[in-house]
Amino acid sequence: MTAIAHEPAITQTHAEVTRDVVATLDTPSRGYYIALFAAVGMFLVGLGTFVLLLKDGLGLAGYVPPVMWLVYITTFVFWVGIGHAGTLISAILFLFRSPWRTAVYRSTEAMTVFAVMTAGLFPIIHIGRQWIFYWLLPYPNQRYLWPNFKSPLIWDVFAIGTYLTVSTTFLVVGLVPDIAAVRDKVSGWRKKLYAACSLGWTGSDNQWRHYTRGYLYLAALATPLVLSVHSVVSWDFAMSIIPGWHGTIFAPYFVAGAIYSGIGMVLTLLIPLRRVLKIEHMVTEYHFDNLAKLTLLTGSILFYAYLMEYFVGWYSGNTFEQTTFYRRALGPQWWAGWAMIICNAFVSQLLWFKKIRTNLTALFVISIFINIGMWFERYVIIASSLSNDFVPYAWGQADPTWADWGILLGSFGWFLMYFLLFARTFPIVAIQEIKEMIPYPRRKGGH
Amino acid sequence: MAHRGTPPDDHLAPPAPSEGLDRRRFLTVLGVSGAGAAALSGCSTDKVEKLIPYLVQSEDQVPGLPTVYASTCTECAAGCGLHVVTREARAVKLEGNPDHPVNRGTLCARGQAGLQGLYNPGRLRGPMARTAEGRHEPITWDDAMARLAERLRAPGGAVAALSGAGEGTFADLLTAWVAALGGQTVRWEPFGHEALRAANRRVFGLDELPAHDFAAARHIVSFGADFLETWLAPVEQQRGFAEAHGFRDGQMAKCVYVGPRRSLTGLNADEWLATAPGTEAAVALAMAQVILAERSGWPSDASALRPLLAEHTPERAAERSGIEAERIRQLAREFASAQPSLAVAGGIAGQHRAAIEVCAAVNILNYVAGNVGTTVRFGARLQAGDGYAGLQALQSAMDAGRVGVVLVHETNPVYALPRAAGFAAAFAKVPFKVSTASVYDETAAACDLILPAHHALERWDDLRPRAGVHSLMQPVMEPVYDTRHPGDVLLQTARAVGGPLAAFTAPTFEAHLRAAWGEVARRRGAADAQAFWREALRRGGVFEEAPVTPVRLAAGAGASGATPALDGDGPLTLVAYPSPMLTDGRGANRPWLLENPDPVTKITWQSWIELHPDTARTLDVREGEHLQLTSPHGTVTAPVYVYGGVRRDVVAVPLGLGHTEYGEFAAGRGVNALDLLGGADGNGFLPYCSTRVVAAKVRGYTKLAKTEGNPRQLGRGIVEAMPVALAARGLTVKEAYEAMGHPHHELNPESELEAIEGWHQAQVEKQKFGAYAEEHPKWGLAVDLSRCTGCSACVTACYAENNIPWVGEEEVTRGREMSWMRIERYWEGDEDGAPPEARFIPVMCQHCDNAPCEPVCPVYASYHTPDGLNGQVYNRCVGTRYCGNNCPYKVRYFNWFAYAKQAFPEPMNLQLNPEVTVRARGVMEKCTFCVQRIRAAQHHARLEDRPVRDGEIVTACAQACPSGALTFGDVKNPDSRLVATLANPRAYHVFEEINVRPAVTYLAKVYHGGEA
Amino acid sequence: MRKVAVLGSLLALGTAGGILLASRPSTAQQGPAAPDSLAAPALAAGDTAALPGPRQPIFFRHDIHAGQFKINCQYCHYSVGVASEPGIPSVETCMGCHLVIAGSDSGGRAEIRKLRQFWNDRNNPDAPRLEWVRIHTLARHAHFPHMRHIKAMGPAACGTCHGDVSRMPQVWEVNNVNNMGFCIDCHLARGVSRDCFVCHY
Repeated sequence: MTAIAHEPAITQTHAEVTRDVVATLDTPSRGYYIALFAAVGMFLVGLGTFVLLLKDGLGLAGYVPPVMWLVYITTFVFWVGIGHAGTLISAILFLFRSPWRTAVYRSTEAMTVFAVMTAGLFPIIHIGRQWIFYWLLPYPNQRYLWPNFKSPLIWDVFAIGTYLTVSTTFLVVGLVPDIAAVRDKVSGWRKKLYAACSLGWTGSDNQWRHYTRGYLYLAALATPLVLSVHSVVSWDFAMSIIPGWHGTIFAPYFVAGAIYSGIGMVLTLLIPLRRVLKIEHMVTEYHFDNLAKLTLLTGSILFYAYLMEYFVGWYSGNTFEQTTFYRRALGPQWWAGWAMIICNAFVSQLLWFKKIRTNLTALFVISIFINIGMWFERYVIIASSLSNDFVPYAWGQADPTWADWGILLGSFGWFLMYFLLFARTFPIVAIQEIKEMIPYPRRKGGH
Repeated sequence: MAHRGTPPDDHLAPPAPSEGLDRRRFLTVLGVSGAGAAALSGCSTDKVEKLIPYLVQSEDQVPGLPTVYASTCTECAAGCGLHVVTREARAVKLEGNPDHPVNRGTLCARGQAGLQGLYNPGRLRGPMARTAEGRHEPITWDDAMARLAERLRAPGGAVAALSGAGEGTFADLLTAWVAALGGQTVRWEPFGHEALRAANRRVFGLDELPAHDFAAARHIVSFGADFLETWLAPVEQQRGFAEAHGFRDGQMAKCVYVGPRRSLTGLNADEWLATAPGTEAAVALAMAQVILAERSGWPSDASALRPLLAEHTPERAAERSGIEAERIRQLAREFASAQPSLAVAGGIAGQHRAAIEVCAAVNILNYVAGNVGTTVRFGARLQAGDGYAGLQALQSAMDAGRVGVVLVHETNPVYALPRAAGFAAAFAKVPFKVSTASVYDETAAACDLILPAHHALERWDDLRPRAGVHSLMQPVMEPVYDTRHPGDVLLQTARAVGGPLAAFTAPTFEAHLRAAWGEVARRRGAADAQAFWREALRRGGVFEEAPVTPVRLAAGAGASGATPALDGDGPLTLVAYPSPMLTDGRGANRPWLLENPDPVTKITWQSWIELHPDTARTLDVREGEHLQLTSPHGTVTAPVYVYGGVRRDVVAVPLGLGHTEYGEFAAGRGVNALDLLGGADGNGFLPYCSTRVVAAKVRGYTKLAKTEGNPRQLGRGIVEAMPVALAARGLTVKEAYEAMGHPHHELNPESELEAIEGWHQAQVEKQKFGAYAEEHPKWGLAVDLSRCTGCSACVTACYAENNIPWVGEEEVTRGREMSWMRIERYWEGDEDGAPPEARFIPVMCQHCDNAPCEPVCPVYASYHTPDGLNGQVYNRCVGTRYCGNNCPYKVRYFNWFAYAKQAFPEPMNLQLNPEVTVRARGVMEKCTFCVQRIRAAQHHARLEDRPVRDGEIVTACAQACPSGALTFGDVKNPDSRLVATLANPRAYHVFEEINVRPAVTYLAKVYHGGEA
Repeated sequence: MRKVAVLGSLLALGTAGGILLASRPSTAQQGPAAPDSLAAPALAAGDTAALPGPRQPIFFRHDIHAGQFKINCQYCHYSVGVASEPGIPSVETCMGCHLVIAGSDSGGRAEIRKLRQFWNDRNNPDAPRLEWVRIHTLARHAHFPHMRHIKAMGPAACGTCHGDVSRMPQVWEVNNVNNMGFCIDCHLARGVSRDCFVCHY
């Protein structure tokens, strides 16, 4: 146990680290190409579906009024959630100087950016007249019309926009020194490319001084976003009067869920990736153990939130709330409700056991459960709450169609496509921060 | 012209008229001004729009203003008066004629859907003739007329005509014309009330249909008569029923329904006596017996009935009908003590082999209760055809090959008669068959020559639905297609044939009609026939009180309580009833009627089989699973609807679907329950309740296209109701709950009330700023649930007024119907196997002051107007649908597809109301309180420099409602009818506790029984 | 309506004399009219190509009718004061004057002959119909009650949106009536309603 309690000593020299990381950028394995083509294929499916949506209308999806939001909003929230682990790990843990983040934060940051990029598509896909989505943006026009700043949907637009900007900046800034390192190792057109991306980084003390300061401030700037963005997203629901949405616990509940799902996705991506990119010695059990602990924490918060939702539903004495939560557990869509509780609340509890935390296969399986569970959480909150609200006469059960699944699949394709390309083009492990952790040579092999 | 400033929605407006239109109509439609184009072409950006001026200015059309013509409804035999609203020479809406004694300004769903008969894509474009191969080929009118004339010169057998029941100048002409050729005309309608007439003949010696004064009745007992849906004159009866049964001044009439199936009328009754099929007579006679035995004051000659009635004790009735004797006694006493009362027989009770006995028994009951002459008035002579007997006579003549030429007008016997009746076969034996059907229906398909007639709104004619009512019809627009007035056809043929027809000299039917009316004017001693005619045309006809002929019991008046014989020996008795929307099937090609949910089951577009829950359990079928019914005469398979309102030993199937022809909307849809029936058997009418069937579950499932999610209120206080005793004490809903000892459903605790009050003050403060500052009206609507019967006339009115697209069966099954106004029907009770009680409530946008849909819209498409409306700006809507989610009443409807494109096929687009935007795909829409009518009234008032008067604005739903259940007005106007209504203690808001402050107020329903 | 037509033709007869005097070649030869001049420029149908605005089946000269002869807009656009639609004159209305007025120059005469042709063919269902090219087409989701604006701003208000047609040999779209800002500016300036639901329903 103690052996892993503190980070493992890295037994390589600076040169070796650089070499290994740069090696990840060399001609990739066949597995990589298969993955990439699969991703692109999925993306094309989604694209095709979207074209049909544009042509015929949203009726192709499984909406059954009063369920007017379904898979698209579900998936939107899902991806925004995914996007949260990145900033948490890279910014907050950076501020807390928690050393174990170094090996993983680059990949999580990349994941964040691409997840938010994916999420950003959904408001457009989801609306009835996609071709005028820009009416949601405040811009001067001859109609003297402005968006309604009271509407949570407008808050969303800003929240997502800000988050995308900041997390992208954060990623790019973090990359600069590493790109420079790679630049010095490669040749040909790639050298030119990296030279351009490295913004003339030389690694002088002066540059380092400014760089570390700047990075610190960026981290400080990014940190509150982790909490704010998903709070805002949660208000899309909490601000409404729908039983099952109209809850005061939504903001913390959603933030916890977001981080939970985010780390789930980190695990899903990192466990295979470290093998594909042969960086097992840098991303070790130690890191996964810590990620797992974080998962356990947030998972338990979710568990509490679920219990609270049901408790409040019962305690409110409000017939609408009570019906909603009764039907969430025992109604026609009970399977979704239980999928969410089992996958999130129960499965995460397995992580109390160190054996499981350090068993990558187990972790991978659990992470898959988490992804599924978190998607279902949003599906339940949206579909099942809407399907039985105030007017019994108007109740209706939505059943997603191929148009829903097509877009969902496409979003995964779109996300993976970018992530894989990134992993090939830029160092997926932060070179210079790993180096910082290398003990001084004289202590090498000591005591 | 580029598209500066408007969103790119070519389909935000009705589709443009295509080449399909013939030139003259195109001229009339477009040839007015911008308005024509405005109504008919897209929000045009690229295509150049043309303005075609009139050559000669039409006298009575002002572009942009509606022109109203008075006419008469021909959708059923009741003969309601119409006001046809036209815009730019196109009929766009049908409303009731306030001067008309039958309907007094209101109209039922079927009547309003007449427009979709006028603009039906299934209408014939021109005359057709059958070729050697038996196909129908279009021919020219000259050719068609020549063929007819030639045929009539040598009929090769008798000439006969078969027409609908409509009595009027055309019917007279037809009869005379056929008579001149030595033939005979049969006027026949399905459900022709033959039994009732026979009974009247027997009991009172009068072969006629009396008028029934429901309004005056204090106690109404209906023996199977669905007087709110299909029996006699539904609109008039519903108005009367609402007067009597609607709660006013601390009292209301009681209504009891006797029969094996609880119809819409039955659901509106306070009590349902589920008699075994065919035993209604026993109950009626027993009631009469009790009254004679226990009470006095009945007409002196009624004592003659004593011996007859002696044997009909409640006990005997009880063992036959399954109703406890005590209940019958009590009912009899109530019935006799409430003066005047009214008993009616018809519907199911008028459709089995003992129907004449039932009607006779009810006549006797009315007589001993002293209702004859007060609530049952003879002398009105409601129009009725020659009955099924007449049709049978003709049929046998055709069968014997004695008929050479038959002319069919406005009736469809090949569809509307059971196969077993063998009409089609006999009809086929006629060498030359001519139809004037304007739609290619089953009978037209069997004819050799089709001479499509003008629609009733395109032609001159008149109707005499009853004594004292002479109702005119006039063409309100150019014919949609190349059709002709059947009257002109007759007259022209007469000229061509000459000989026996030489007497018919009128050049056109219009001239003939004018001549006939000259006669009327003379009879009424009108000095100036011209003025008389113009006045009649303006009012829609000449109307006066029907004479009342006093009647006494005829010799041999009597009735037996015999139970009727039934074909077959299945365990279940089949009740085939006319669908409230489609009646005998003539409504089956009107999407408005197909999509307007059946008031009882809330099913659209489909056929279904009604089973009692217990029966369903024994047969092991659930809703939607297919059931096969087999009678000696045929087999029918349809999905099951489990309904506690039918007896365990009864299976009910609505009529009206299962067409093989009759246009794209009807053909091949659903099943025709007539296949299970036999023909008549000499008793003068067709018994629709005369077979026993075997029911067997078969493979197959059809998701019922119901507009209903959950049929229960779950204690949410959506439709509040209280017993009459409490209502009479002027209790509010809350007090009534307490008086009954039930806790009221969740309302706000003190703490919340404070918060709510605080919030309200804040709102009042806010209203002092900006556009909201000045003095504005505040529109509101009140719905009296004690008058609403759930008939759904308002729903069709809303579709017609607001260009609401119908979405079709598949989309309805996905809950995507667009009806801005819906009638929710909730079941009460019924857990313990007791019959279900229904609560109806019309739900439209509640225009909340604190509307949850407004703040969530990111683009202000949904927002609050200064005059208190909840505005929905279609062209601003981007379709996030958050408003739809956040609406607690679920009255916002989303265009998932471009519904408007498929819902208004050529020429239905001509019906579109130019004052209302046709919604694009991807936008949210909802009830606007008919804002276009509000604006029109405001414009009008402004031009006259006066404020808008109370009652000047009437929403489409309120205008149509036969019960007068809806009141629209300005809440801020203290003298408005609305404000007076709001003072009613029964007033409440749905979901008061969520503080959305709706502008729609409901008055709780009131019912008899359950008095605490 | 008939009454109007009769009055109209009388008025037309009166003005007819005026035309013969006013349209002496000398004045007719002048180029584009000066703002204060009554006389509209003489133009042949052939010249229309040079003019702004779409070319119409008949080269109807608003500048002559509304400008030179000061015929009230509402004489032809008869329903503008009472209905949301302004209405366009029936051929009958045109003929009210042009039965007697044959035109002053060859160009004008040619155009009036076209008009008379349409009138003479009025009972022939197969004759070509007169199809004006529409210039102001308001988007269908906006409702513009002309009568309210005439009521508020008087019968001469037309120019506010349509420009000074009395100076247009061939009418063109001066203001884009589909530009909502154009409406709002006016409503702001006059302090009248800017409620969306007044026009959009």
